[in-house]
Amino acid sequence: MTTFSLPESFASAYRQEPDGYDEMLDETGRIRAHWQHLMQALIQLGPEEVSQRHREALRLLRENGVTYNVYGDPDGANRPWRLDPVPLLVSSDEWFDIEAGLLQRAELLNLILADLYGPRQLIKKNLLPLELVYNHGGFLRVCDQVRLAGQHQLILYAADLARGPDRKMWVLGDRTQAPSGAGYALENRLAMSRVLPSLFRDNQVHRLARFFQSLRAGLNAVAPKRSELPRVVVLTPGPLNETFFEHAYLAAYLGYALVQGDDLTVRDGCVWLKSLTGLQRVDVILRRVDDNYCDPLELREDSRLGVPGLLDVVRRGNVAIANPLGSGVLENPGLMAFLPGIAEYFLGQPLKLNSIATWWCGQSRELSYVLANLPRLVIKPIYRKPGEHAVFGHKLSRAELAAWRQRIQARPAFYVGQEYESFSTAPSLADGCYQPRQSLLRCFMVARADGYTLMPGGLTRSAHSYGEMLITNQMGSISKDTWVIASEPQLSSVAQAGDNGLSGHANALPSRAADNIFWVGRNAERAEGGIRLIRATIKKLFINPERDNPDYQESMHTLLRCVTGTTGSYPGFFGEDAEELLKAPEAELLVLATDADRIGSLPDTINRMAQSAYAVRDLWSSDTWRVVDEIEEQIAAAQRLRKSGLWSMQEQMDQLVTTLSAFSGLAMESMTRGDGWLFLDIGRRLERGLQLVSLLRTAFAEPQSEAAETRLIESLLDSSDNLICYRQHYRANLELTPFLELLLLDPNNPRSLAYQIARLQEHVGKLPREAGNRRINAEERLLLEASCILHIANIEELQSVAENGKREALDSQLGKIYGLLANLSETLTATYFRHGDAPQSLS
Amino acid sequence: MRYRITHTTAYNYQQTVGLSYNEVRMLPRPSPNQQVIDSKLQISPAPCDYRVRTDFFGNQVAWFSIREPHLTLQVTAVSEVRVIRQPGQTDLGHGIGWEAAREILRSETGESTLDARQYTLDSPLVNADPDLAAYAQASFAAGRPLPEAIHDLMQRIHRDFTFDPEFTNLSTPLATVLEHRRGVCQDFAHLAIGCIRSQGLAARYVSGYIETLPPPGQAKLVGADASHAWFSVYLPDLGWMDFDPTNNQTPGDRHIVVAWGRDYSDVTPLKGVIFGGQDHELSVSVEVENLGL
Repeated sequence: MTTFSLPESFASAYRQEPDGYDEMLDETGRIRAHWQHLMQALIQLGPEEVSQRHREALRLLRENGVTYNVYGDPDGANRPWRLDPVPLLVSSDEWFDIEAGLLQRAELLNLILADLYGPRQLIKKNLLPLELVYNHGGFLRVCDQVRLAGQHQLILYAADLARGPDRKMWVLGDRTQAPSGAGYALENRLAMSRVLPSLFRDNQVHRLARFFQSLRAGLNAVAPKRSELPRVVVLTPGPLNETFFEHAYLAAYLGYALVQGDDLTVRDGCVWLKSLTGLQRVDVILRRVDDNYCDPLELREDSRLGVPGLLDVVRRGNVAIANPLGSGVLENPGLMAFLPGIAEYFLGQPLKLNSIATWWCGQSRELSYVLANLPRLVIKPIYRKPGEHAVFGHKLSRAELAAWRQRIQARPAFYVGQEYESFSTAPSLADGCYQPRQSLLRCFMVARADGYTLMPGGLTRSAHSYGEMLITNQMGSISKDTWVIASEPQLSSVAQAGDNGLSGHANALPSRAADNIFWVGRNAERAEGGIRLIRATIKKLFINPERDNPDYQESMHTLLRCVTGTTGSYPGFFGEDAEELLKAPEAELLVLATDADRIGSLPDTINRMAQSAYAVRDLWSSDTWRVVDEIEEQIAAAQRLRKSGLWSMQEQMDQLVTTLSAFSGLAMESMTRGDGWLFLDIGRRLERGLQLVSLLRTAFAEPQSEAAETRLIESLLDSSDNLICYRQHYRANLELTPFLELLLLDPNNPRSLAYQIARLQEHVGKLPREAGNRRINAEERLLLEASCILHIANIEELQSVAENGKREALDSQLGKIYGLLANLSETLTATYFRHGDAPQSLS
Repeated sequence: MRYRITHTTAYNYQQTVGLSYNEVRMLPRPSPNQQVIDSKLQISPAPCDYRVRTDFFGNQVAWFSIREPHLTLQVTAVSEVRVIRQPGQTDLGHGIGWEAAREILRSETGESTLDARQYTLDSPLVNADPDLAAYAQASFAAGRPLPEAIHDLMQRIHRDFTFDPEFTNLSTPLATVLEHRRGVCQDFAHLAIGCIRSQGLAARYVSGYIETLPPPGQAKLVGADASHAWFSVYLPDLGWMDFDPTNNQTPGDRHIVVAWGRDYSDVTPLKGVIFGGQDHELSVSVEVENLGL
């Protein structure tokens, strides 16, 4: 092939230190062979086009809900994932060496893990100092002599690699507890292959799907021998965890149930999933909870993330956890100093891939070296606590250095010093041009029965600025896709299996997930109803207001009270200062539209809906999730219009109504008609029924002048999207009788009460119930009663005014139905969502 | 000497507990000086799942769970144990110097030394900080035989500290005990362990019992009628040797060992996670009967 060289303009912008190693450019400034094709294509596309594709990729990632939560940052929750459009390229030849080195390291760490919780020969033979292991917070004595079935103890393993100035790849760190990043790597790949499809294809990039097949096989291999198809669950600390997106994503991709600690329970020596259909036995737990938090009985007793009694089930061999509890003991930089000797001992081989030079301060010679050379070393504790980072000696002041020397001398066995290396750079798109950035590559391995498999690629992260060597997601690094490619581009010849999801067996729905889905349904409906009513109210308030007309005033006040009732933002227009508020309602309406701190406001309800949806992220299709994202964007846009006032928000409200409807529609179309769908629709129907009943009581229990009621009917028909339907049906003036018929009794009107109750009856009949119980259950009884009241209701009688001047019949009949529906919500909660009490520790 | 020990722990809950998981370390472990003739747990209500295993430190652990709704959990351990008087304790002035012992712990890798070495390290409740080292220093004169140094340390703790059950609880830090010079047997054991570890030596925490009613003519010991605690020191030439700083003595045949570990957190008699219950009251009783020789 012809050699392609960089245009002058590009080369001058791409500046690097003369002695640094760059992945793309060689020492003479020429593009390395395996980068030729990519760079040529990128430059031909031009910066504008690449930026455009980049934005497209970011949009895809954001819409897919790919996020990373940053602790301690007010805007840190669900921070969008950042992806650089330039992948890191690794040639096949080099990858061959990396693979050999990493697979050897995985085997070695596996043997060390088995030894440390087994015979501890390494300590007895003086190959590992006791102090290095026993002082490490990850050495869990309660896990002693516990073994997984099968060949391997270390199922998942990730290593962070970087290229040092000597051009070799070095291992900087080992992740052996619950390595994160494989899901992000997959998402990066999907986004890249969508926005740069031809580039991706022509570069003959290795596919990632096989790695996830290996993961499934690896998890199946450690399952207790019981059934052909073991039940695997993904244990997450919950939506607040930094990588929750990935937990949900992997669960959905692999077809496993996503659970939190209290979705599981220990009984009869086994672990069970609390699902809608009862307890389901769990065989394998893919854990993303740190091991210390997994069992409050034997590990950290303050943990609320674990399962009491879990460790004893593991001990009995009735559940397998990957990675096993205690595997954090390998996340110890001090081990690196001893790996070469251990490799000789266990494998009779030298290490193929070096670790970064490491001095463990628990030895006197090493301690002296570290203390003497502190300014040019990196200081790390042997056991990293959350939020702790490596300390760079060269960044410390004289006083800080002295303080660190004291700290290390007081407890030398707890620290290591590591060589400070300048990593190689790779091109990143920054500020519209390509710039060199230091980068780190995380590689992922999984153990199958026949050995370890390496993901052909990985998660590359590059520094946010040139020269920065501390590269962590918490510190704002930018990720890259990683392409392992042949040095000569080849035509794609063999059809490869796509990176799409693998089919899994249907999972029982955890009770908590059902609970969340139910509230997604209720809050989505509440938000939609609230917006519709507020929108109708604004119209009436601003278009031809007849402030001196008592009929107008009367209907306006009733409408405002309906707003309070529908949004659930009491006291509002019912409160002690209601009279004042009713006179000048704009401020209160503005609060309801924009103030997230006000309970029942639109942002509050939408936040609740989004939080519930996020907690069951694994259950939504990507299109549905994109709509959730849009809903959040739109309410945020409405909030930004606060200063411009209510009138200017109408467009946002129109959009929100459309998007919320789209959400309902998509959910209806893209969810299988399982228990999840049932609870979503039950939530929606229940909320719509409750809203309607409360609206009609507030509006008509106290009769008003006919003119006022006509106005009210018009607004309510407008807000419930029934105005056109009404006119088609009745072609009449706006009167209460046909209005009540349409909204209460019409079985074909999807917004009528009769319709909601009929759907609820259908759904409740399909819910899982105890086998053999043929009697009518509590939910069915409540709905049957509501249905009877509604069907024997006489519209004339409902409208009649009693001696006390009220529509007693309407108020009491609707009041009864309201009570029954509210009771239904509580009964469903008690029957299907109860998680029981929170555990407490005895001491 | 033979003893029968009845150790009862009861939790009375304010509200019903529907589910409970527990771990018990109340079954005495056998040791060179102690033969366990019989030992069993009575649990009420009856557990639905019950297993006994040996933990990392060699202690007997019973694991059980209860699914029957209950307002009271009662765990009673009844054990019959023969205690043999520990030999070689009378002559404290012999044995190797404490620095030599430290050197052996650091360098030798024989099985028992390696096992002892883990007890030179900090543990969850005992951090051998400079304040403890400073307190310990007076007992560790250069070249002093190790048993004598430890005996001196024990005597000083007994003299300097006041036994005061009102002052500390399970979560009182060692620094507070050292500052106020008050505590109970558990605090004194932790204190001594921290002092010994600050010198690079190995010490472990021992939980157990002492005889309730003294033989005629002898005084009743402090810490009777409840769980007791003391410490043990590793002597490279002689093995482990026990010291009871609360009673200022080296245990003879009136101390019954239940379990040992790095500190109290390794040998908690009864641990649990419960669902329900709200507040609870705890009552503990221990009766140690001397059955004669």
